[in-house]
Amino acid sequence: MKQAHCIYQEDDHRWFAIARDASKPGYIIDTNEYVVVNGDEALLCDPGGIEIFPAVFSALSAECDPTRLAGIFSSHQDPDIISSLALWLEFKPDLKCYTSWLWQSFLPHFGGQDSTFIPIPDPGMTIRLGGLELQAIPAHYLHSSGNFHLYDPKAKILFSGDVGAALLPADHNGLFVEDFSRHIRHAEAFHKRWMGSDRAKRDWCERVSRMEIDMLVPQHGAIYQGGDVQRFINWFAALEVGVLRG
Amino acid sequence: MNAPDRNLHVKAPGVSELARIVRVNEEIKAIVSTAFRINLMALNAIFLAKRAGNAALGFGVLSNELRRFAQELTRHMATLRDMTSGSVGSVTGVVQQQRTSAILAEAIRLSGDGVPGVREARRRGATRLAEQQACLRSLDLRLRSAVEETQQLVELGGVLARSAKIEAAYGGTFSPALMQVSTDFAEVIAQIKRSLEVLGKERLVKD
Repeated sequence: MKQAHCIYQEDDHRWFAIARDASKPGYIIDTNEYVVVNGDEALLCDPGGIEIFPAVFSALSAECDPTRLAGIFSSHQDPDIISSLALWLEFKPDLKCYTSWLWQSFLPHFGGQDSTFIPIPDPGMTIRLGGLELQAIPAHYLHSSGNFHLYDPKAKILFSGDVGAALLPADHNGLFVEDFSRHIRHAEAFHKRWMGSDRAKRDWCERVSRMEIDMLVPQHGAIYQGGDVQRFINWFAALEVGVLRG
Repeated sequence: MNAPDRNLHVKAPGVSELARIVRVNEEIKAIVSTAFRINLMALNAIFLAKRAGNAALGFGVLSNELRRFAQELTRHMATLRDMTSGSVGSVTGVVQQQRTSAILAEAIRLSGDGVPGVREARRRGATRLAEQQACLRSLDLRLRSAVEETQQLVELGGVLARSAKIEAAYGGTFSPALMQVSTDFAEVIAQIKRSLEVLGKERLVKD
């Protein structure tokens, strides 16, 4: 069953990773959800699909008051990212969902109404959470055509959606990357196939290299921290993407 | 908990409601198509009665009545069809709400009842589901009432078909042809009656 792990804490500013679900059906891709808590408010990043809602809700409730959820950050429009939207709204009807303007009229197919969505313009925007200023960082075409990552400059954490994702075997259940060269083998095929634009990839790598990042937290697989963050960026910059095989 | 167990917990009831709507729609389509056949049959019967002349005056009157009956039946079926197509939206709403409530109930079961906000969420979901089910029940009542009205109309059609059979006996040399037409009428009306009986037994919501 999923559990929320605190990966950062400074006073009442915390990040939780709700990662790895050994009890989920094998045919559903494993996902990580992240909760940023600041004071009395919380933001849930990529809340996941319908099937895993009970597990995510339960893990989140164990660590923080779910009525404090102020918003949902949806990096893009895929079902494993946001198909549980209607269920979160069932719990809290006034939740706001931040997503690319591109998906503003697509996500209501999963739930919500006009007032639910706060469209993020292509260059990105600031998302306020209590006194915290989170940054929606453009990551278009990585892999979705309207795609954002979320940067917390205070915690120096970058939620990177599908970038950095690894499809790990069941027995690789560590929260953090422990051996980069062993880990990255499980990320290679995913990035080659899912990331469609070399130009977008190079642009992202250049921008992200200039940011102060202690942890790069992806939606699938383990978290990169310390030197592994730059190691990942360099590896991604050199990787040939948008290829069908090989 | 293993994976299959977890899946069983979040399965929502109520998917058969959509299957019921499909069955109702199929019966209505069958009756509409039969009503169209009666209309054509009545037209042919009118021409046949005209050819038979004075010997089939009564049969001619009944054929005109049967044609009017077929047109009225078509109008009834159009109303029924409108009602069922509207009910697809209501049934879908109920099915979605049932699934949502079932998944939320599973989330509450895992997290415990003490989690803030869960009771309100459960109450909101239950209220919405009750409203949607009430809407569906009202639609079901209107549909049943419309089916009953149509059944009465078809009873009248049955009487017309039987009278046509009697009139056919006085049709002189045209009598065998008129008899055949009136027998066809009776068979088609019996078919519509059977379809309406099936339709009358269908319920959009379980009692």
